[in-house]
Amino acid sequence: MKIKRRNFLKGIAGAGVGVAASPLLTGKALASEVKKLKPNHVGMLYDATKCIGCKSCEVACKKANNMPIEYDPAGIYDAPRDLSEKTLNIIKLYKGPEGTSFVKRQCMHCVDPNCVSGCPTSALNKTENGIVTYDKDACCGCRYCQMNCPFNIPKFEFNDFYGEIKKCELCRTTSLIKDGQPACTAACPTGAVIFGTVTLLLAEAKQRLKDSPGDYIDHVYGEFEGGGTSVLYLSKIPFEKLGLPNLPDYSQASLSEGIQHTLYQGLIAPAVIYAGLAAIAFKNRSGKEED
Amino acid sequence: MGHAKPLGGKIFTPPILFLSALFLISAYFLVLRYINGIGYVSNLTDNQSWGIWKVIGVLVGAAFVNGGYVTAFFVYIMNKGAYHRFVRQAVLFSLLGYSFAGLSLTYDTGRYVNLLNFFIPKYMQPNSALFEVGVCITAYIVILAIEFLPALLEKIMPEGQAQGLAAQLHGFLNKILFLTVAFGVVLPTMHQSGLGQLAMLFGQKLSPLWQTPLISLLYVISSIFMGFCIVTALECVYTSNFKKKEYVRLLGTMMKVAGYVAILYIILRWIEVVRNGAVGQAFVFDLKANFFWLEWILIIVGLYFVRNEQARFSPKNLFLGASFMMSSGLLYRLNSYIIGYQSVQGQSYFPSFPELMISVGMFALQLVLFVTIVKIFPVMEKE
Repeated sequence: MKIKRRNFLKGIAGAGVGVAASPLLTGKALASEVKKLKPNHVGMLYDATKCIGCKSCEVACKKANNMPIEYDPAGIYDAPRDLSEKTLNIIKLYKGPEGTSFVKRQCMHCVDPNCVSGCPTSALNKTENGIVTYDKDACCGCRYCQMNCPFNIPKFEFNDFYGEIKKCELCRTTSLIKDGQPACTAACPTGAVIFGTVTLLLAEAKQRLKDSPGDYIDHVYGEFEGGGTSVLYLSKIPFEKLGLPNLPDYSQASLSEGIQHTLYQGLIAPAVIYAGLAAIAFKNRSGKEED
Repeated sequence: MGHAKPLGGKIFTPPILFLSALFLISAYFLVLRYINGIGYVSNLTDNQSWGIWKVIGVLVGAAFVNGGYVTAFFVYIMNKGAYHRFVRQAVLFSLLGYSFAGLSLTYDTGRYVNLLNFFIPKYMQPNSALFEVGVCITAYIVILAIEFLPALLEKIMPEGQAQGLAAQLHGFLNKILFLTVAFGVVLPTMHQSGLGQLAMLFGQKLSPLWQTPLISLLYVISSIFMGFCIVTALECVYTSNFKKKEYVRLLGTMMKVAGYVAILYIILRWIEVVRNGAVGQAFVFDLKANFFWLEWILIIVGLYFVRNEQARFSPKNLFLGASFMMSSGLLYRLNSYIIGYQSVQGQSYFPSFPELMISVGMFALQLVLFVTIVKIFPVMEKE
C-alpha cells in the first residue's frame, strides 16, 4: 500500500509539472484559441502624415461623450497632456531626429484584448462589431485592465470615492448611432483618421503604402501587433517613437488563456487531484504513522 | 490530537497595545480613503495602479500564510503524524491571513460593492486568472474556518464529556476531515498559480527578469518553501518548545525539505532568465537588477543557515534560514508586481505614508488577533 501511494503522489506531481511546463515546450503553439478579426468589425485608420494637429477630434470627442474640460499643470484651459479619466482621445506631437509627427491616441479595440480576458467580472466586453465596451455596474474597480493593457488605455477615477474606468468606446452610444461614425472621424478636416470596417481600412492602408512608398514606413501598425487591433496606424516616424509599443504578433491573452484552459479544462485535472488527495487522507485517517 | 492548550497569560501586553495603536492609525486613513477615494491617500496612478496594498494584502499575505497548506499536506497526505502539532497554529495563521487578503480588496478595489459580482453567474468570467484567484481565496477561507472550528469547539465543550451539539459537530468534522484537507491542498495550489498567472497578462510591461510562461508554476513552488519557512519561524518566535531535541529535529526536517524545494525554484527561475535572454539585463545594476540580485542573496544566505544536519540542529540557524528564504520569496512577489513592472518610461512608484500605514496597520491587527486567539483557545501544544 505504501508503495502504491508514493507512486500516486509521484504521478500527481509529474502530471502537475508536465501540464504547467507545457508552455515551455510548445510556446506560441499553445496560443491556439486565437481570436480572429471578423469582417463586420469596425475600427479606424489614422494616417499620421495627413494629421495637421488641429485637435478638432479632441474637442468633438469631449462634446460627444460629455467629458469634462481638463487643464494642464500650469492651468491652461483644455490642454490635457495625456489620456486620462477626463480625456478619451488625444493628439500628441513627436519631435526628434527622425522628424516631426502628430499621433492620435485612444483605445485600440484589440482583436483579442487583454483587458477583456483579464476582467474578473465581465465589465469589459468585445461586442459583435468589435468594439471594446465597459460596464460600470459589472466593474469592481480592481484595475487589472490598467495593469495588463499594452497601450495603457483604461483610466481610473482615482479621486472619486467610487470611481469608474474611462476609455474610448468608439462613441457606440453617441455619435455612432447618430452620425454612423465616431465623433473624432466625423470632425477630422483632413481625413487623417477615417472610420470603417477593419478589413476595408487595412486594404486602404496597404493601397496607400503601395501608391506612395516614400511617404511611409512600410508597415501597417495594428495589422498583427498584439494579435491585431481595430485601430490601424500609418506613419513615416518609427511607431515606437509615437508611443506605440513593439509587440509580438500574438496577444498575451491568448497565451495566458491557453495555459489556463489546459490546466483547468472542464475542471478535470483539479477534480482528479482532489479525489486522489481525499482518498489518501481517508486512508491515513487511522493515524498509523509511517516514517 | 487534543494536546493543544490555550497559552494563557495577560492579553493586553505592551506589544499588543503598540500593534493596536498602529491599527488605529490605519483606521483613520481608511476612513479618509472611503470618503475621498483611492487617489487621496495613495500614490497609485493610472500607470501603476496596483501597489503596496495588493502586494502586501494579497500576494505577500497569501504566501506568508502558506503554513496551513504545507502542514496539511505533510500530516494528512504524507502521513507524518509527528507534525500534527504544527497544524493548528498554521491553520489559524492562514485563516487570518486569507481573511485579511479578502478584506484588503475592499479598500484596494475602487468599486468594492461590485466585488459581489464574483459570485453572480452573469458576471463570472472564468477566462480571468483574477476571477480564479478570487473564487479560490473565498473557498479556501471557508475550508480553513472548518479546519479551525474544532479548536473553538474544544474550548466550549465541557471537559471529558462527549455529548451535546458541540461534541457531535466536533466528531462530524473529524469524520469529514479528509475531504476538507484535500480541498486545503488543491485550492491554495490553484490560487497561488493564479496569482502568478496574473502577471502573465502584463506582457512586456513586466521585465524579462521575471516575465515567463512558467510564472504560475514558480509561484506555486516558491509558496511551498515559504510555507515551511513560516511554520518554522513562527514556532521559534512563539514557543520555547525548541529547547527539546526532538522538536528541533522536526523543524529541521521541514527546513531540509524547504531547502530542496528552494533549489528547484532557483534552477527553474534561472532557466527562464536565460531562455528570455535577460542575463544581460541583470548586469546593468539598475533598480530592477539590484532587486533581482537581492532575491538571490537572501535565498542563498537562507540556504546557508540550514545547509546540513548539524547547522539545522541550532534553533537560531533554523529561524534565520527560514526568515531569509521567506524574505526572498516575498521579494519575488514584490518584484514581479511592482519593481519589475513598468507601463511608461521613467515611471516610478513609492507608496505614500497613509498607503503604507494602511497595510502596516492591517497586518498589526492580524498579529494582535493571532496572539490573542492562541492565548484563549487551544491552538498550540505546550509541554
